[in-house]
Amino acid sequence: MITKVHHVGVVVRAIDQALPFWRDTLGLHLHKLETIEEQGVKAALLSVGDSEIELLEPVVSDNGVARYLERKGEGLHHICFQSDDVERDLAEMKAKGTEMIDQTTRVGIAGRICFLHPNAMDGALIELCQPLDDYARMHESSGTEGQF
Amino acid sequence: MADLTLDHVVIAVRNLDAATADYANILGRRPSWVGEHPKYGTKNTLYRIDNTYIELLALSGAKGDKRWSGVLQTHLDEKGEGVFALALGTSDIRRAVDEFREHGLDVADAADGHGIDVNTGAERGWRNAMVDPKHTNGLRVFFIQHLAPPEALPVAEPLEGGEQVRRMDHAVVLSADMEAARRVWSDKIGARLALDRTFPDRNTRILFYRLADITIEISGGAAQSREGIGKPDRPWGLAWGVESIEKTCARLQATGIETSGPRQGIKPGTLVATVKGAATHGVATLLIEHQPESFTQAARMPHSGAIDNTQQQRAFNVTALDHVSVTTNDLPATAEKWASTLGLRPGAMTEHDGARVSSIPAHNSYIALTQPLSGDGAIAAAMAERGQGMHAVAIAVDNIDEAVRDLRVKGVEVSDPAPGREPGTRVASVTKASANGVPVVLVQRG
Repeated sequence: MITKVHHVGVVVRAIDQALPFWRDTLGLHLHKLETIEEQGVKAALLSVGDSEIELLEPVVSDNGVARYLERKGEGLHHICFQSDDVERDLAEMKAKGTEMIDQTTRVGIAGRICFLHPNAMDGALIELCQPLDDYARMHESSGTEGQF
Repeated sequence: MADLTLDHVVIAVRNLDAATADYANILGRRPSWVGEHPKYGTKNTLYRIDNTYIELLALSGAKGDKRWSGVLQTHLDEKGEGVFALALGTSDIRRAVDEFREHGLDVADAADGHGIDVNTGAERGWRNAMVDPKHTNGLRVFFIQHLAPPEALPVAEPLEGGEQVRRMDHAVVLSADMEAARRVWSDKIGARLALDRTFPDRNTRILFYRLADITIEISGGAAQSREGIGKPDRPWGLAWGVESIEKTCARLQATGIETSGPRQGIKPGTLVATVKGAATHGVATLLIEHQPESFTQAARMPHSGAIDNTQQQRAFNVTALDHVSVTTNDLPATAEKWASTLGLRPGAMTEHDGARVSSIPAHNSYIALTQPLSGDGAIAAAMAERGQGMHAVAIAVDNIDEAVRDLRVKGVEVSDPAPGREPGTRVASVTKASANGVPVVLVQRG
């Protein structure tokens, strides 16, 4: 079940050149800045109330973010909803025949994540996420109640 | 306010004699003042150190002004002993009150206060002005101007054995709503923000406000949690500057007060130790020793991964992600997919400005599913260029006129504020060329 808009993803050419607008001019609090080598992206997370703007810069040329930038240029890329149980939501969507990019959940910047195929939502790219600590409580503590 | 100081910190205690004895041990000093407030129904012990003083405050049992005794009683009942209030000093309280009111802080009129030392019969007077904690994110703050000369409250005499506490280094406030805390201290109180730093690895963000040579440290999580928004801030602890951590810990040990440490502080070039046990009367207490710089070159390397937001300058505040616009060629069909796939329920369709819109609530924000009704207009043009799907981001601000002015000063192209689609809203559009290809809409509600 969706519990909130976790973030809105924006693809940019260079995070360094995007921060003057999002951080300094709008005054959004930058709370994370990191390069995720295995995904080939650099990401900046900025708070907007209890949601976030996620700036994404490709650092390789052969992933989805790089292809998006090449094809469409900079712009609004996806919306990520937080789920209280991402595994269950993914299983339910697959059972309904929803077209998915990810057939299994994986670790992303926002936690345990999966992407729907944009065809499933008439062109809007949707991501679901569950923060890692919440996910761990649910999936790694079975049978060990009271030990943490 | 340029001349604000941390005049003193008020600590609520149940048993004044016991707390007085404990703080004599912690500080290594005799009280500067043991007194009562005939008007307030309270009694107190004061310890002045080099740069401020602390006030241990208890109920006297006598009848008094409920604004003090009633509030103190409630604090003790609900929160127990601990830091009760921060007193901010000013040299001209009447002017200060006027200035704070101009900045939107709800300050009461300044009132006369009066204390008597029960041992010496000495008297001191002051004027103070209370702030409704609702306007300071739950923190109890008041402003004070002393009428008595400084020597009326002498520095607390050191006890035998030395190694007394010299000065207050910083006071720590815990916040679950850091942006609200920043608005209080930057915009309403007008304290100087020296640092706004985030440590993603430790999931911590700290704001440092300087009041003369004392820092108010506001500490919270790196990212804003949903549960935290609107929660009150909590005064939490005090950090005391000492000459030698090791010797001070040994002195405390001899009086039966346990410490943990010394250990390296988070701030490069510092050693710290925590004072444990009941002697602090609910105040998280840290001793801090600043080491000479020559010994700590290696420790002064910047903290890995720390992010600095100190330089943000703004005349307005972003308060929320208002909504995200998503375009479609067939609103009913797409709305049905949002419902059946994601379990989000689209609201009724409305028409505005050449488009049909259905709002889909998503707890902390909403999705505006939008279908243009003709081939004209900005939305149709954007769809022709990028196809249907993700379109625009709307951000809520607290003052759209200031925001538009501020953005224009910084060279951002933005439209004049105009009434929005929803009643009671005003909106202004930032061109997507200014915002990495994203049409950004500023929204002010109410």
